[in-house]
Amino acid sequence: MDGVSYQRFPRVKIRELRDDCAKFELRDTDASIANALRRVMIAEVPTIAIDLVEIEVNSSVLNDEFIAHRLGLIPLTSERAMGMRFSRDCDACDGDGQCEYCSVEFHLRAKCRDDQTLDVTSKDLVSSDHSVVPVDYSDPSDYESSEQSRGIIIVKLRRGQELRLRAIARKGIGKDHAKWSPAATVTFMYEPDIHINEDMMESLTIEEKKQWVESSPTKVFDIDPVTQQVKVVDPELYTYDDEVIKKAEAMGKPGLVEIRAKEDSFIFTVESTGAIKASQLVLNAIDILKQKLDAVRLSEDTVEADDQFGELGAHMRGG
Amino acid sequence: MNAPDRYERFVVPEGTKKVSYERDTKIINAASFTVEREDHTVGNILRMQLHRDDNVLFAGYKLPHPLQYKILVRIHTTSQSSPMQAYNQAINDLDKELDHLKNSFEAELARFQRSF
Repeated sequence: MDGVSYQRFPRVKIRELRDDCAKFELRDTDASIANALRRVMIAEVPTIAIDLVEIEVNSSVLNDEFIAHRLGLIPLTSERAMGMRFSRDCDACDGDGQCEYCSVEFHLRAKCRDDQTLDVTSKDLVSSDHSVVPVDYSDPSDYESSEQSRGIIIVKLRRGQELRLRAIARKGIGKDHAKWSPAATVTFMYEPDIHINEDMMESLTIEEKKQWVESSPTKVFDIDPVTQQVKVVDPELYTYDDEVIKKAEAMGKPGLVEIRAKEDSFIFTVESTGAIKASQLVLNAIDILKQKLDAVRLSEDTVEADDQFGELGAHMRGG
Repeated sequence: MNAPDRYERFVVPEGTKKVSYERDTKIINAASFTVEREDHTVGNILRMQLHRDDNVLFAGYKLPHPLQYKILVRIHTTSQSSPMQAYNQAINDLDKELDHLKNSFEAELARFQRSF
């Protein structure tokens, strides 16, 4: 019964990798997989974010919900998120979402006691779990800057103003609210395949070559100072704007250059908010996509229910 | 005011099945699959994978309405296969492809980190 397999074997090559940014090539697959990965990274990889705020005292200039919204948008380190439970299907706390399996508690206490304005920042949030804390954007190699760095400003207080609150952070996904999205930007582009018609190019004068090279809004082509030949500097700078093709036609040289998008090669750029590492974001996205596919498999009872129609079905299939 | 709750987009309501299908009443080896709480992410990769199957004569998906959180996948196959078989095969192949992708990404990650 088993059909032939139509599986593909994609290849990956990493070009750049930092904690918050990754650039890699994905080959031997199609745009549907590339786009599914991009969509999952943006909207379905879970992180932890503040979801419930109980304000005890707020005499600041911002109203309660304004502050609650700002707290929600603060990225929290979320390496734990994949292993955590969603509050809605946590059986340890019957869905009130305040147990250790599905939530993390934060406290914030700040009062301004002198004439200088007090900045209340993400660093003033005290977490109940040392693995879930507001993301620290300071450079770890630069000791001085990390000493001075004050985190993300939530509100500013003048003398006598006070802010005191309790916040519950929960696991969630970007589909629910963008505050749970671990991705700042995820993009992919088709790799361009550029062919210059050398014979036709040689029929151009150096002045014409210069004009043609200049017609591209990005610096894709250049002229070799020694041989005066037009060469491709960086094909990936091409934005599929067609300007060089239009220019070639305007110069009466259609077909001077041929540019094709390779339909099975993609260049990904992944930027993370800091909640999880960019490399981990890609791996988590693959896992989530696999889980989604597992969930849409035909279940036994769906097929069984169909077989009960039996008679009619068999008759139809028998033809 | 009357906006649906945000979780409606990804939580399958109790009593409904994630996947159900209905055979076409007029064409043999054709069926419509209804997948609850899924969107273009799954719909499009399924469709493209089904197109790679030689026994699939037609495969398409649609998201009927932005506020109906489900997709419809329609498959028509030759008599050598069946829509259910093609559907399962497509999911298995995608699953294996993602396994391979995960392994190659991890290997590349290890290689890249070693070289620094």
